[in-house]
Amino acid sequence: MTGTIVFWVIVAILVIAILYAVGIYNALVGLRNQVKNAWSQIDVQLKRRHDLIPNLVETARGYMKHERETFENVTRARSDATGARGVPQIAQAESRLTEAISRFMAVVENYPELKANQNFLALQEELSSTENRIAFARQAYNDAVLFLNNKIEMFPSSIIANMFTFRKEAFFEMEDVSQRAVPKVSFS
Amino acid sequence: MFWKVIASNRRRTVLLVLVMGMVLAVLGFLLGEAVGVWTQYASLSAMPGGDGAAAGHRAGFTGLCVAGVFWIVLLLVSLLGSDQLFLSLAGAREVTHGMYPQLHNVVEEMQIASSLPVMPRIYIVDDPAPNAFAVGKSTRNSAVCVTAGLLAMCDRDELQGVIAHEIGHITNRDVLYLTVAATMLGAVTIIADTLLRSLRYAPAARYRSSGPRAGKGTVNLWILLAAAVFVVVSPVLSRILYFSISRRREFLADATSARLTRFPDGLASALEKMMLSPERLTTAPKAAAPFYIANPYKQDLHGGMFATHPPLRTRIGILRAMHTGAAFKDYMKAFWEVTRTRKPLIPTSDMQLGRTVEKRGPRPDENHAADAPGSSARKAGDIMRAMNDYLFITCACGMKMKVPPEFARGKVRCPRCSREHKVGDPDQEVLAAILTATAPLSGGGQPSAEARAAARVPGDAQVEPRKPGTWQTLTCRGCGRGVQVSPVFHLSRVTCSGCGNVITLEEEADGSPVPPGRENPH
Repeated sequence: MTGTIVFWVIVAILVIAILYAVGIYNALVGLRNQVKNAWSQIDVQLKRRHDLIPNLVETARGYMKHERETFENVTRARSDATGARGVPQIAQAESRLTEAISRFMAVVENYPELKANQNFLALQEELSSTENRIAFARQAYNDAVLFLNNKIEMFPSSIIANMFTFRKEAFFEMEDVSQRAVPKVSFS
Repeated sequence: MFWKVIASNRRRTVLLVLVMGMVLAVLGFLLGEAVGVWTQYASLSAMPGGDGAAAGHRAGFTGLCVAGVFWIVLLLVSLLGSDQLFLSLAGAREVTHGMYPQLHNVVEEMQIASSLPVMPRIYIVDDPAPNAFAVGKSTRNSAVCVTAGLLAMCDRDELQGVIAHEIGHITNRDVLYLTVAATMLGAVTIIADTLLRSLRYAPAARYRSSGPRAGKGTVNLWILLAAAVFVVVSPVLSRILYFSISRRREFLADATSARLTRFPDGLASALEKMMLSPERLTTAPKAAAPFYIANPYKQDLHGGMFATHPPLRTRIGILRAMHTGAAFKDYMKAFWEVTRTRKPLIPTSDMQLGRTVEKRGPRPDENHAADAPGSSARKAGDIMRAMNDYLFITCACGMKMKVPPEFARGKVRCPRCSREHKVGDPDQEVLAAILTATAPLSGGGQPSAEARAAARVPGDAQVEPRKPGTWQTLTCRGCGRGVQVSPVFHLSRVTCSGCGNVITLEEEADGSPVPPGRENPH
C-alpha cells in the first residue's frame, strides 16, 4: 500500500519536473528566436544603409568636385562592411562606415547648395533614420542577448541549457562615434 | 518589457469583461422591469384587472436576454473593431510614408527598438492641441495617432519620446485593456441614459393608477428606486474602476519611453509643451480621454481621485530627474525622489537588475536645420491640407496656393501676381500637393524648375520676350489682335481681351525682374 503511494508520488514529481523542464526549454528556444529576429533586423537595417550610401554619394558628387578622398573613404568603408562576416568583424566594419559617413556629413557642411538640395535632404533624413534604426536594433538585440545569456547562466535553466547545448551569444558592441573626439575635417 | 504588467493587463481585461457582463445583466433586468412596470400601468389604465404583474416579470427576463445579446455584441465590437471606432471618433486619418517621412521613420525606429513584431499604423488628427494616443488589440494590430499640433510643435527628439511612450502602451498591453474598457464604459453610459429616460416616463403612468393596486405599486416603486440608484452608481463605479488603473500605466509608459529612446529629456520636453499649450483638444471623445498621453480635459492639474492621468508636473519632474541613466531602475529612483515615496512602481522581476542603460545626448544641431522653427508648423499644416484633399498650386511667381476642395470654380487667381491657374486635372494636382507637402522647405520659397514648368499652361502657349521699361505691342496668336503691354506692367503673363489667350512674357536674360509697381519710365 505504502509502496504504491511512494510510486505515485515519485511519478508525480517526475511529471512535474519534466513539465518544468519543457517550460524552461521552450522559454530558451523563444529567447534564442528573439535573438535571431533581432539580429535579422540589424541585418536588414545595415543593408538598407549600404543601399542608401551610393545614392547619397551620387547626389553629392555633382556638388563636391574636390572631395575625392572623402568619397573614396565612404565607398571603401561601405565595400568593407558589405563583405564582413561574423558579429565582431561586422561590428568593426560598420563602426568604421559610421565614422566615414559622419566625416562625409561634416564635409557636406561646406556646401550650402548641396544642403539645400531636396533630393539630398530626403536622402539625409532616410540615412539618419537608418542610423537610428541600427542603433535601436542593436539595443533590442543586446537586450535579447542579455535575456538569453542570463537564462543560460542562472541555476535551474542552466541545466537544461547545458543538456541541449544552448550557446551564449555575443553582444553587438559598436564604438560610439559621437562619444569620441570631433573628427578631423580638412579644409584644404 | 513589463511581464507582470502585461499579465495583469490581460487578467484585468478578462475580469473587466466579466464584471461588465454582470453589470449589464443587472441593468438589463432592471430596465426590463421598468419597462414591464410601465406597460403594466399602461395596460391597467387601459383595461383594469389585466395580468400586468406576470408581463412585468417576463419583461425582466427579456431585459436580461437583451442585455446578454448586447454584451456579446459589445464584446465582438470591442475585440474586432473598437480601435477603428475610436480612431474615427477622434477624427483620425491614416498617413503614409510619402506624406510625412519623418513621422513614419520615427515610428519605425521605435518599433525596432521595442521589437514589436508589426509596425503600428500611423494616424494624424487635425487638431492644434498637442497630444497623442495609441489604440489596438494586440502587438500585431495597433495604431498610434498624433495631432497636427504635436507635429507642429515638436522636434524629432520630442516626437520620438512621445511615440516611444505610445509604443510602451502597446507593448504593455494597456491598449487592449483601455479599448475594451472604453467600449464597455461607453455602452454602460448609453444604457444608463436609456434607463433614466424610461424612468422619466414611468411616474407619469403611475399617477393614473392610484387605487386598488397601490400595494403592488410600492413594490414596483422599490424596483424603480433601485434602478435609479443603479443609474447613478454604475457609471461612477465603472469610472472608479477605469481610473484607478490609469495612473500607474502612464508612469510605466514614460519609463518605457525613456528606456527605448535612451533620452528621457525628449519626452519631458514634449510633455512640457503639452502642459504649456493653451489649446484644448476638441476632437477627443470623452470615453477615450484615458487614451491620450496628456489628459485632453486638463483636469489633471490637481490630480484628484477621478483624474485619468497623473499630474504632468510629476511626470516631467521624474523624467528630468533621471540623472543616472535611462534604465527602469533609474526611472524608479527618480520616481521615489520626486514623489517622496518608496512605492514599488515597477516589479523587481521586470527591472533587469544589474543592467545599466546609458543616456544619450540630444540630437546634434545640424540636423535641426531641416525642421527649423516655423517650418515644422507650416509642414504640419500642409500635411493636413494634403490629407483634406486641398489642391496645391505653385505659381510661377513663387506663391504657393492651397485650394480647399469646396472651391468649385475652374480657375484660381494668384493673389500676388494675379495669374490665373486651372483647377483641373486632380491627379496631377494631388501629386504636386504631396510633393510640396513632403519636400523640406529650402531657400526663400523660390519655385523649382519643375514647378515653373508645371505652372505653365499646357499646349502651344505663346511666349514673347519682354523688354522692360518700354511699351510693347504683341500680336495674339489666337485671334490676331494687337495686345498692348504698358511699361509699368510687371506681371509675366497677359491675357488677350479678344479671345482670352494667355501670352507669357519671358524676361530678357539680362533684365532683372522689376519689383512690382516701383519702376518709373525714365
